[in-house]
Amino acid sequence: MTLETKRIVIAGLGGLFLLSLVLVQWMETARKAEEAGIRPPHISVPASSRECVECHAEENPGIIAHWEGSTHAEKGVGCVECHGSEREEADSYLHHGAQIATVVTPRDCARCHDHEADEFAQSHHAAGGNILASLDNFLAETVEGARMAFNPHSPTPGKAVDSVEGFASAFSGCQQCHGSKVALQSSDGGRITVDDLAPDADGRPTNLDAVGRIVRDENGRPLMHAGTWPNTGIGRLNLDGSRGSCTACHSRHDFSPRRARQPENCGKCHLGPDHPQKEVYEESKHGIAYRDLRDDMNLDADEWVLGEDYAAAPTCATCHMSGNIRNGGRVTHDPGERISWTNRPAVSLVMDTDVNHRIVTDTDPATRRSLIHDSAEQKRDRMKEVCSHCHTDDYVNSFYRQYDDLVILYNEKFAKPGLAIMGSLVTNGLRTPTEFDEEIEWTWFYLWHHEGRRARHGASMMAPDYTHWHGMYEVAERFYMELIPQAREMIQHARDEGRQAEARAVEAVIDEILARPEHAWFEEGAEAQAARIREEMERRYGRGQQN
Amino acid sequence: MRVVRRWLGERLPVTGRQFRELTNEPVPYHLKRWWFALGGTPAYLFIVQIFTGILLAFYYEASPSTAYESVEFITREVSFGWYIRSVHKWAATLMIVTVILHQIRVFFTGAYRKPREINWLVGMCLLFCTLLTGFTGYSLVYEQLSFWGATVGANITDTVPVIGGFLKRMMLGGDSYNQATLSRFFILHAAILPVLIVFLIALHITIIRLQGVTEFRFKDEEEGTPKTFNFFPDHLYTELIIGLVLMVLLSTLATILPATLGPPADPLQTPEVIKPEWFFYVAFRWLKLFAGTAAVLSMGFIVFVMFAWPFIDGWIRKHTRFQEASVWVGLVGALTIIAMTVWEAMVRH
Repeated sequence: MTLETKRIVIAGLGGLFLLSLVLVQWMETARKAEEAGIRPPHISVPASSRECVECHAEENPGIIAHWEGSTHAEKGVGCVECHGSEREEADSYLHHGAQIATVVTPRDCARCHDHEADEFAQSHHAAGGNILASLDNFLAETVEGARMAFNPHSPTPGKAVDSVEGFASAFSGCQQCHGSKVALQSSDGGRITVDDLAPDADGRPTNLDAVGRIVRDENGRPLMHAGTWPNTGIGRLNLDGSRGSCTACHSRHDFSPRRARQPENCGKCHLGPDHPQKEVYEESKHGIAYRDLRDDMNLDADEWVLGEDYAAAPTCATCHMSGNIRNGGRVTHDPGERISWTNRPAVSLVMDTDVNHRIVTDTDPATRRSLIHDSAEQKRDRMKEVCSHCHTDDYVNSFYRQYDDLVILYNEKFAKPGLAIMGSLVTNGLRTPTEFDEEIEWTWFYLWHHEGRRARHGASMMAPDYTHWHGMYEVAERFYMELIPQAREMIQHARDEGRQAEARAVEAVIDEILARPEHAWFEEGAEAQAARIREEMERRYGRGQQN
Repeated sequence: MRVVRRWLGERLPVTGRQFRELTNEPVPYHLKRWWFALGGTPAYLFIVQIFTGILLAFYYEASPSTAYESVEFITREVSFGWYIRSVHKWAATLMIVTVILHQIRVFFTGAYRKPREINWLVGMCLLFCTLLTGFTGYSLVYEQLSFWGATVGANITDTVPVIGGFLKRMMLGGDSYNQATLSRFFILHAAILPVLIVFLIALHITIIRLQGVTEFRFKDEEEGTPKTFNFFPDHLYTELIIGLVLMVLLSTLATILPATLGPPADPLQTPEVIKPEWFFYVAFRWLKLFAGTAAVLSMGFIVFVMFAWPFIDGWIRKHTRFQEASVWVGLVGALTIIAMTVWEAMVRH
């Protein structure tokens, strides 16, 4: 190569290198513009999803608009990446050349988000579908509805109703939060669920007879059972054997982390008379700060680490799931990892859990030690890591003392006694084992399931009104003014029927409870205390004032 | 210009003619062939590494609680951070490739033979310093794979007889990976090894200058082809072209395949698959084939043979009739290394 040629080559290569730097500059400017929100993020539609996007942009423009705003779109994750399925899967069908399934399950999400899916699978959220065999579901399916379709008893003008769906309350109510057992229509008129399909470890059905009974439309698409789908309940029982629905929190099709970080997202289910966590949060200083300082929450941050990306206020996600600088920014998809009491049952339980994430209820200390895999204290320590961003150790420890005291007070004064009374009524034959067919069963249910939970949830998240007026006050009123009188009435009724021994047995339980120091005021009176209070009120506000 | 020249001439005891003589060293004619001029590429890449490394060190924090976050910050937040990090990563990869290619060229052309045995030893030291720099640099990212790769590396070191435990403790700053480990890796990566490499390169070039580059003649050369040509500007242009090709290549790789970032290190969770960087695949495969101390000792023996090859080759050539034994040994060695690297790359575990 001559010197002249070399010079030309050097000039060419130098120009090429400078060009590459210009390209880098352009990429950097575009990146900064996207981050600053000046330019919409670059979207890449994968070739496999191009036809889906083109067609659905016409048919369901909202779906595509949502997807275009998602991180999935930015990263080139299209429709087929999530909806794609194997031909062998029960709900799989060929749709314009792509083998897909309508329902996207945690097993599908785990193709990329396996760590998150594993954590979620271990959580109580994933077990939300267990309600299908619970007392609450008995209410929805039997008491509120009927465990069968039945005939209407009079016409509905303007609507041809030939059958009433007995499960309607369960389908539209309980299961929209807890999750349905997703079903396909069967050629015999019934439903085909995960129980019938018996999927293997890969989610493929092993019962081919059940697969053969799936009803399909003229295009080969399996027909879903309308009661169980659509459903985004968090513990949904899917056809592939997986449990849960990621879209319960990460709404499709934009899968917005921003939305999952906001309390309104959790409020879809965690609200109402029996578990008003959303309202409790709103009453608390945490919720008040969030409403005021929402603009400082940096909700669009990539990682959203407390103490690094924001510190204005905590949301549900902050305390129960998100990362913080104390834990190295580690996010968990098991909200139970930081919860030290479960206030769900009638009597609150300490969240010492075994290797299978079940609560250890054994009372022997040695046995407990051998079974406990993750103790309530460890869980509490994880929560304290979050608290400590804004509160001192003393403050946090004293808060937990207040919380523990409230839960234990409720447990010991009302919950355990209530359980004992309800138990003795059944064992002595004064009430039937069927729930909700007697007034006292509704009374007891209100006491623990609604009012008792409100009191405990209120204390757990610093909402004084929920702890007291919506909580303990109503628990006490329900206990003294309804549960005890109704139980005594049942005892009298048994006596009238000549069942003296049974009546005495239940009475002995109630008498023993009411003779305890904490209940003594009820039967013995508390005149001395009342007089003291009257005196204090008069001192403060003058004679004649009652409160 | 004349004023400047006079000003400099009064202060530096080198005349313009002397300077031209110094820089215009005659270059052996075979260096007109491109593949013989590749010895300088690792040095180019080393300069790129120094430059990008300094920029990265402005933001990098060598502590387990902040290392990953600082790398993430460099990649996502710092202006051009992703580009600088990607160029650093690709230059490291190319540097290892070019060092190995240079070594292969020297080996197969017998350029290590007497009197150049010492420079072969210096070259071997440079190879191992480069590999160590790659190892420590990858560990600094503190992502799950780099953390576990370093942990496995430390455990392998522990199996070296007698001194293994000491080496492991020196490497980790304790019996296991701890707060002090990353700062050790950082000091090694950003100070000790680069200084050592600079020293070794200087020694390497000094020896080359003292001995002169090995001269080769080729059958297709015409009669009367001069033995040498000028360093300036002819060979300098060649080097400039090589440098520019490298820069364009680096820039392209950094933009098309930028450096990624895996999940952060979790000392409590061993990943299902642990793999080192590609240039350790051969050693990793070897350790899997011959587990325990035997594997480490055999590998140590191979490394010893690599260092001592000029002397072993000299003995073979002097005392046996196998004058080209090195070619066959080199072929078997190179094919084995390639095969084991590919094997390790193909298997999942």
